[in-house]
Formats: sequence, structure tokens, C-alpha cells
Amino acid sequence: MSSGAQSRMLALGDGRPTIEVLEAGSGAPLLFLHGAGGIPLWSGVLPLLAREFHVYAPLLPGFGQSTGLDCLDDQLDLFLHGFDVMDALGLARPYVVGESMGGWMAAEMAALRPDKIGRLALAAPIGLWRDDAPVLDMFGMMNDEMVPFLFHDTNCAAAQAMLGLSALISDKDDRTQAQIEQLIALARGARTAAKFLFPVPENGLERRLWRIQAPTLIVWGANDRFIAPLYADIFTAKIPNAQLHTIPKAGHLLALEVPDALGEVLCEWGKRA
Amino acid sequence: MKFTWFHLMPYRWLPSDFRERFHGVWVDVPNYLYDPERGHELYNEYLDMLEYADQCGFDAVGVNEHHQNAYGMMPSPNIMAAALARRTSNAMILVLGNSIALYNPPVRVAEEFAMLDVISGGRLIAGFPVGTSMDINYCYGQNPATVRDKYREGHDLIIKAWHMREPFAWNGKYTKLRYVNLWPRPIQQPHPPIWIPGLGSIETWDFCLDHGYNYSYLSFSGYKRAQNMMNGYWEHCAKKGIDPNPYRGAFFQQVCISDTDAACEREWWPHVDYFFNKCLHLYPGMAGAPGYMSEASMRAGVVAQVGNTKSNMGTDKSWKELVEQRYIVAGSPATVAQQLEELAKSLRVGHLLFGLHLGSAPSELVNHSTELCAREVLPKLRPIWSEHEDRWWPQAMPKEKRVKPGSTTLTAARAASIGNGQEARA
Repeated sequence: MSSGAQSRMLALGDGRPTIEVLEAGSGAPLLFLHGAGGIPLWSGVLPLLAREFHVYAPLLPGFGQSTGLDCLDDQLDLFLHGFDVMDALGLARPYVVGESMGGWMAAEMAALRPDKIGRLALAAPIGLWRDDAPVLDMFGMMNDEMVPFLFHDTNCAAAQAMLGLSALISDKDDRTQAQIEQLIALARGARTAAKFLFPVPENGLERRLWRIQAPTLIVWGANDRFIAPLYADIFTAKIPNAQLHTIPKAGHLLALEVPDALGEVLCEWGKRA
Repeated sequence: MKFTWFHLMPYRWLPSDFRERFHGVWVDVPNYLYDPERGHELYNEYLDMLEYADQCGFDAVGVNEHHQNAYGMMPSPNIMAAALARRTSNAMILVLGNSIALYNPPVRVAEEFAMLDVISGGRLIAGFPVGTSMDINYCYGQNPATVRDKYREGHDLIIKAWHMREPFAWNGKYTKLRYVNLWPRPIQQPHPPIWIPGLGSIETWDFCLDHGYNYSYLSFSGYKRAQNMMNGYWEHCAKKGIDPNPYRGAFFQQVCISDTDAACEREWWPHVDYFFNKCLHLYPGMAGAPGYMSEASMRAGVVAQVGNTKSNMGTDKSWKELVEQRYIVAGSPATVAQQLEELAKSLRVGHLLFGLHLGSAPSELVNHSTELCAREVLPKLRPIWSEHEDRWWPQAMPKEKRVKPGSTTLTAARAASIGNGQEARA
């Protein structure tokens, strides 16, 4: 799973989650908070970030080898868990990068404890809502139907790999044991995402955005059909010290579809400190 | 054995090209397809069918809960049960049931079931489904990762509310109430029998067996495809050292009866086709929200066996295939009786829930089927399992003690007519 990165387990204590942390690179610390798809491979933008930073990518309970979802009842528990991980990793005011679901979590953490986050970059974060531009329902669609909403170019390798997962959803009872395990792993991660985001991924973040103090970069794909780019403008307007960078010919999953373009702006933003 | 006449209450007027134009019958099927005046006719017609089943001698009439669903028009089964409580007199009333986690607070379920039990003179069977993912997650927004936990807590609260005779406080994770104090409380003591409908998840088997509840396997795929699942249930029962009383189990089977096998196909095929190819047109993207099904159930292969896949649901099958594979039990009374006997014995169920209305079937056809069933099929099945005690059946008030609906109006009218009605009213 983590060629190019070290994987280690981090026990947070009795009755608390035990999580897998992927680590690579050296330099200033960068905390990467993953999206609802987890980090199935050390690929996309992550190796590029590890050229410039010491990347820490903890996996939420339910993703990878991480366990302990039952210890986190609600969103507040989830955000406090984020700080617990930061503390356990010894990260003081790190550069935090979050994509999609992880971007929402990073924004909530930065609003909750503005003093704990050094810099912030949010790649197409969820967390806001406008009735006239509803965020796509990631919990009520078939995998192959969702792919066109996640990528600008469904012919790119990452989109094709995701379409390949549809083979796991079979009418017949003909899956191999490895496929069953893969399916269950996907379902386990999706359960974590659903626990905090079902059915509508919005819970008041907008009225807390003013609290964020970290210099914040908002990155959005110009053709994001999963979360419309109008949300980029709201994040940029409501976070006190924010800038927007739009990537042309890109959909929602920036880290997979346009890793080079995303990596470049994230590295540049992180080094500006 | 005991027999319940169970209604789904489908909408009868889905367009002929429904499958091509709409991606499913549930959750997001637009309600411009629903004509309320036709709905008025259907509700009254369907209630008539259930009342007729009571008159024909079925042991119970049954209703259930679905939301935003064109094949199940009972978002509130309790409203239907209330109507039935007044217009039936012999049959028990099976509400299968109220999805506990949808009610806030769940005490509402304890109250409404108590009301139904009191109105009906103790004829209620209380059903507590977790609910399908379509109903509880997609339509009612319950969190799939926590809804089973919320269900269990709601269940515990309801049971306690039925038992307690003094107010108590409830400090749950999902419900916090300073004063729980049930008015009214049910006639049946300590509470009506509880049945749990399921689709084969292992957690539900455990829940039923641990609490001593009836497990009702509701399937549209018929008894042959249910064999593995019910075997699993009884093996689970044996593993726990619990007596395998057949009345611990109920099975829903769709049944069509005509005078002959040939007449059955001719009369019923359009309505059976409507059911399997329109009513069961389900969108797989909403079959199960992430976390709705436990990892253990996924590993046990529940998805493959009972998932909403086209091959499981009977889509695009011919009459012959549906009959041979027993998706439906259909034919003359003799054919049906023989197959249902096989059902009862192979699945080891004491309670049979009859789906005697299918799809778009009209009243005449359904009523004829109901009559043939009551007259020629039920007597043959009734002795099966008679050596076992049914501890999952209501303890109703004796019929002579129950108030006859309308009787007090007559008494008042007679009293008024003795004197001067006008003055008496003034």
C-alpha cells in the first residue's frame, strides 16, 4: 500500500483509536488529511509533497489499518481526534493540507483551535451548502456513475482505475476472497465517511470560518462537478486570510487527476512561510 | 399454523415505460406520478381487501411501513392499523412494523402501539423493523453507521416504557427524556407480542433469539430461495440452545390462486408482471448506504444471496420461471396447498404471511383468490405444527367483552328518541 512511504501504527491510548500513519520525505512537517476515498496507494500528489516536506498522512479509523471508529461518536470527537494525532506525532503548528473530506476536517480544526495550525491548504473541501448547487450525494450513487463527477477527464489513469472497481459490485456470487476483502475495506472506509457526513455534508462550518487564523490556500478544479467551484468563492471570502487558486481542466479529485499542478501550488504555498 | 393476509399497497398506475424513464420505484420516484384521487380509491379498495380477509377467516391482517415508495404506500402503517382496528373484529392486527429509529422520541411508537392495542381490544402484534436502507437512510436521513445502535436503544426504551407503572427518566445516547410515562398503556401484558422482520442479517437473528421475538423473513423471491437463510436462522437457534419452535419464524410468500392452474396464469400474469418488473424496479445505488450492513453480514454473503440484484428480484422472468422457482406460489387451490405445505415444512415456519394482492391486481381477482385460499387451502395447512405452542400470538380480550364499533352511537340515538331528541341535545 505504501511503496515510497513508511507505514506505522500509532496507538492513542486505552479506549481510543489506533491509527496507521504514512510518512515520507524530510523537511518541515506537512500534515495531510485524506478524502473519503482514503489513501489506497502512495501515489498522486503525495510523493510530490514528500520531495519538499516531511509528510505525515494519518488514516482515519476505518481506513487502511486504522481502527477505533466506535471511539468517535460525533464530529467534535473527530476534530479532537485530529488534534490528538497531531500531538502524538509531535507536530507543532504544522502546514495542514486537506482534500475534500479532509479539507473539511482541516477547516473545522483550524476554526476550533486557530492557534494549532501554522498554514492551511484546502483542496476542494466539502462542508458548505447552497440549495441551488447541492453537493453530489456520494452515498447514493453507483461507483461508475460517480466517476464522471469526480474527474474532468474520465480517460485519465486514476479515473480508469476507479471505474475498474465496479467489477467488485457483481450480481453473481463469483468474487474471489481478495476481491471480497477489497470490497469490505472500501465499505469500511465509506462507513467512516458516512458516520460524519451522511446525509448532507454540512454542519455549520460557514459560521465558524471567520475564526481561522492560518494563511489559507483554497485550491479548486475549474470543472469540479462534485462540489461546484462557487463554493471556492465562499471559502475564500469567509476565511480572513485566504487566497484562491483555480486549476484549469481539473475535476474534484485534484490529487489524483492533476498531481503535478496541485503539488506545485501546495509546495509553493507551504514554503512561503 | 396461523395465517396473515398481508398488504403492501402498491400504486396501480405506474406508466408502461416506467423502467425506461425512471431509475427506481423508491426514494426519488417523482410524485407527479401519483394521482391523489386514484390514491383515494386505492386506499379504500385495499382496506376493503383486508377487511374481507378478516371476514373470510384469516387469523390476522398485516401492514408495513415504507417511505417514498410506489409499491408501498404506507408511510404510516399505524393509520392503516387504526382503520382496521375499527372495521375488523376477529383478525389480529400485525403492524410489521414501526422502524423505531425514525421516531423522535421512540416513545411515540410505544404510545401508538398502545393506542392500537387498546382500540382493538388487545389484537395487536407489534413489529419492530430496523427498516430498509432506502427507508431509514435515504428517505429519513438516519445515519447508517449508527442507526442500528439507535434502534437498539429505542427498543430498550419502548420495552421499559411498556413495563413501568411509574414515571422514569431515560438518559440514552440518542434520546434523553426526563419523564417517560406512558398513557395509555397496552391491554396485553406486559406488552403485545413482538415480531421482527428481517432480510437475513445475522444481528437480527441474534436480536430475535436473545429477546424471544418472532423472526419474520420478508422476501419477494419466494420460499425456495429462502431455504439457506432460514436454515441459517434455525442453526443459529440450535447453537444458542433455544427450542426450535416453528412459531419463532414467519415467512412472507406471494400467492395467486385461481380455479385452475391455466386460469391462474391467464388472470394473474399482467399483475405479477407489473409487480416484478415495475414495483421491484430498484436502483442499486441506494440499496445500502455505507455502514448499513455490518461487516459480519457482508462476509456471510448476505449481499449476494438477498441483495437487490436483478437475478434475485425476479426481473424479466417469465410466468413459468417465477412459478417454477417459487417466486410466486400460483395455481389452483390444490397446487397452492401442496406447495405451501412444502414451504411450511422446509422453512419450518408456523406463521405464513400471504401476499394475496400483487402489483396491479384488481379487487375481484384478489377477493376470489382470498376466498379460494380461505376455503380450500388454509384448512389443509392449519394442522401443521399444531403440536407446538404459539407463544407469539396476541392475548386479546374475549370477543364478548370487546366493544362493538358503532354500538354506543346506537344506544345514544335510542336514548334520544325516547324523549325529545332536540331537547336532549340542548
